[in-house]
Amino acid sequence: MPVLPKYMKLNLDRRIIFILMAIAVIFPLVFKLGLPNKVTPEVKNFFEQMENLKDTSVVLISFDFEASSFPEVQPLANAILMHCFSNNLKVIGISLLAEGTALGEKVLKENALKYSKTYGKDYVFLGFRPQVTATILALGEDFHKIFPEDYYGVSTADLELTRNIKDYKDISLIISVTDGDIPFSWINYAVARYNKDLAVLTTAVMATSFYPFLNSGQIKGLVSGLKGAAEYEILLKKPGMGARGMDAQSMAHLLIILLVVLGNVGYWMNRKKGSRV
Amino acid sequence: MRRQIPIVVCFVFGIFMLAQFFVSHPLFTRGYQNVLDWMQIIFVFALLVGALSFLILHLEKISKRQKDWIYNFVALSGLTAMVFLGFFKGIQKDSPFLWVFDNLQVPMQSTMFSLLAFFVASAAYRGFRARNFQSVVLLVAGVLIILGRVPLGEMLHSKIPESATWVLNVPSMAARRGILIGIGLGSIATSLRIIVGIERTYLGKG
Repeated sequence: MPVLPKYMKLNLDRRIIFILMAIAVIFPLVFKLGLPNKVTPEVKNFFEQMENLKDTSVVLISFDFEASSFPEVQPLANAILMHCFSNNLKVIGISLLAEGTALGEKVLKENALKYSKTYGKDYVFLGFRPQVTATILALGEDFHKIFPEDYYGVSTADLELTRNIKDYKDISLIISVTDGDIPFSWINYAVARYNKDLAVLTTAVMATSFYPFLNSGQIKGLVSGLKGAAEYEILLKKPGMGARGMDAQSMAHLLIILLVVLGNVGYWMNRKKGSRV
Repeated sequence: MRRQIPIVVCFVFGIFMLAQFFVSHPLFTRGYQNVLDWMQIIFVFALLVGALSFLILHLEKISKRQKDWIYNFVALSGLTAMVFLGFFKGIQKDSPFLWVFDNLQVPMQSTMFSLLAFFVASAAYRGFRARNFQSVVLLVAGVLIILGRVPLGEMLHSKIPESATWVLNVPSMAARRGILIGIGLGSIATSLRIIVGIERTYLGKG
């Protein structure tokens, strides 16, 4: 009887799998593959909605993510901020997670700098507020009460951008850049109670949770994962971190499928071998 | 009395919050805004309780030299160092607090998250088996999504991304909707039980 090779016995050492995965991820990041990306209708729809926002409309971007998922949400945040600033939209940044505060401020500032935007006039960062529900509800009642000062301690009543903002009525769109379930609170309170438009930019793994809300029209846009970021970059005609990351993700996915096939071939060969004995 | 007062408070505020959603009278609006203020205040106190509990738990383990107490020491040192840096050196740009956050916490947490790719690859090799009809369905759906969400799927066949979208938009969404409706109905039932005082487990023992 022929002796089965080691990989057919399902004994492939996990260290070999780890090394293969590392190669699959690192190789495309070092040597650009440039795999073609196709824009999906959901990303295109949201992009068009953003295009249709009037010049100087106010967009509230909530950086609702933690440090762990920063590499995945950063390209999403960059893409949406680039779009906002290139279309002269006014951006108010907040965070409903403590960790998202420093990261949100960093991303916002970096992009504002690229487009030579002025703090206080074109964009403002208000920082973190605890208690998600209370903050979302309070924003609909009295903006200055929940955010009397910005992240740097300047009164929001003194900043040109926030001076005349009273509640959600003065904000055109809310965008939650997230890695978790905070958009559920935005949907439950800002959308349901105050009838505010909401878009969600999230990690790929969380996307399935929000599809029913996109389908029902409760959220106006959904862009997810590195793929979503890459598609948005294509629409912006500014390829960046999303497009580069997609090559690595493609290779990692291909490796996983190869491993699944290999594992199943081994499983069926072992099964046949077992039934013969 | 110890149990009755919280039940009455819960009933009054539960009914009030329910009513204020539908009533736009200034009295209700003002009351609602006060409740929102109180929610923030209570949260801050809850945060203090959490920090205190964290401190007591770890100090106890360290003082009793329990197994792996060194990790408790690391956790406490981290908390103390960040509190010290935040309070005495500030949290502005170029502060030591932000340096630690940017150069230690962010890379460490991102690394932990990235490790998932390696474990998923290993688990897929060992666990994703076509053992019966159900597992074949799962396997096919999984492979379609894995391929359909990257450019490679489009390159292999134009129908792969379409099929992946169909899986997400039809069977997956149907299941998700069912779960969401179930959660919604369950939440309403539980809330009503708490408001009228049938459900009292939130009061704890005693």
